[in-house]
Amino acid sequence: MTTMGSQMTNRGSRRGSAVLRPVLGSALKENLLLYLLTHAEAYPRELAQVFGCALLSVQKQLAGLEQGGVVVSRLRGRVRLYQLNPRYPFRRELESLLLRALEFYPAGERERRYVPRLRPRKAGKELRP
Amino acid sequence: MRRSRRNAEALAARVSAALRRRGLDAVLTGGSCVSIYSEGKYVSGDLDFVVTPDDDDRLIAEALAEVGLVRSGRVYSSPDTDLTVDILSPPLSVGSEPVRQVIERRVRGNTLRLLSPTDCVKDRLAAFYHWRDRQALEQAILVSLACRVDRRELRRWSKVEAMLPGYGEFSLALARARRGRHNTG
Repeated sequence: MTTMGSQMTNRGSRRGSAVLRPVLGSALKENLLLYLLTHAEAYPRELAQVFGCALLSVQKQLAGLEQGGVVVSRLRGRVRLYQLNPRYPFRRELESLLLRALEFYPAGERERRYVPRLRPRKAGKELRP
Repeated sequence: MRRSRRNAEALAARVSAALRRRGLDAVLTGGSCVSIYSEGKYVSGDLDFVVTPDDDDRLIAEALAEVGLVRSGRVYSSPDTDLTVDILSPPLSVGSEPVRQVIERRVRGNTLRLLSPTDCVKDRLAAFYHWRDRQALEQAILVSLACRVDRRELRRWSKVEAMLPGYGEFSLALARARRGRHNTG
């Protein structure tokens, strides 16, 4: 049986590094922005799974970023997909800052989380890192 | 209130005035500027305002309530109209550049501040460049046909945005639209 305590531990172990927290005010915000930068787009449940946090926390961060024009979203089917807003006036500077921050992440985490697998993989075959 | 260019412009001017009375600067941007400049050839249902400062939601809500608009989700609306008002965060920008000049129009006794025709075209072209949105391209053409726009400035800005090929597409489409209008006129 999984206890609440072990769930929290597992979630905690999936939290990402954060080197811009003093600037951005939130480790999760930094992680979400980096993920959107490296994956082009993502949906909230995917982000909550990747970073082992509550869906509501992700949704709140995304709502704030969308209100500020940093990200934009669109519906595909029933899923809301988010991406960095290409029209955000500080997009280039933000991307440079995020990429610079990524250099300070542990290599393992950087490759596991921020280098997306883009090539296809047949349905039913297990996805390996 | 029916959705029309005149109704939208009048409501925008009232919203703008109500915000200004509370010390908030509001500039109309987005598709509503296209409605105004194209003389209603395109009608938008959204009034998008960049409000500065934007950190006092209570004050903004109070201003919009004065013209009968209440918060509904992320936008402000009213049962009396199918127009909605959205408050966008500053800075007022087109692509990666700040907007340097804002136009003022007097509408039924109120002053409405909005993007210039040239910045309105940039705003639409940004949507075309980044999302390949053909409707936005059509809107950029409508404004360019109806108003005097600074083509040299549009080209310079497109170059800064690294979108010169997109500007070429716009120029060709605009030339075609001009020929079509000339032939049918």
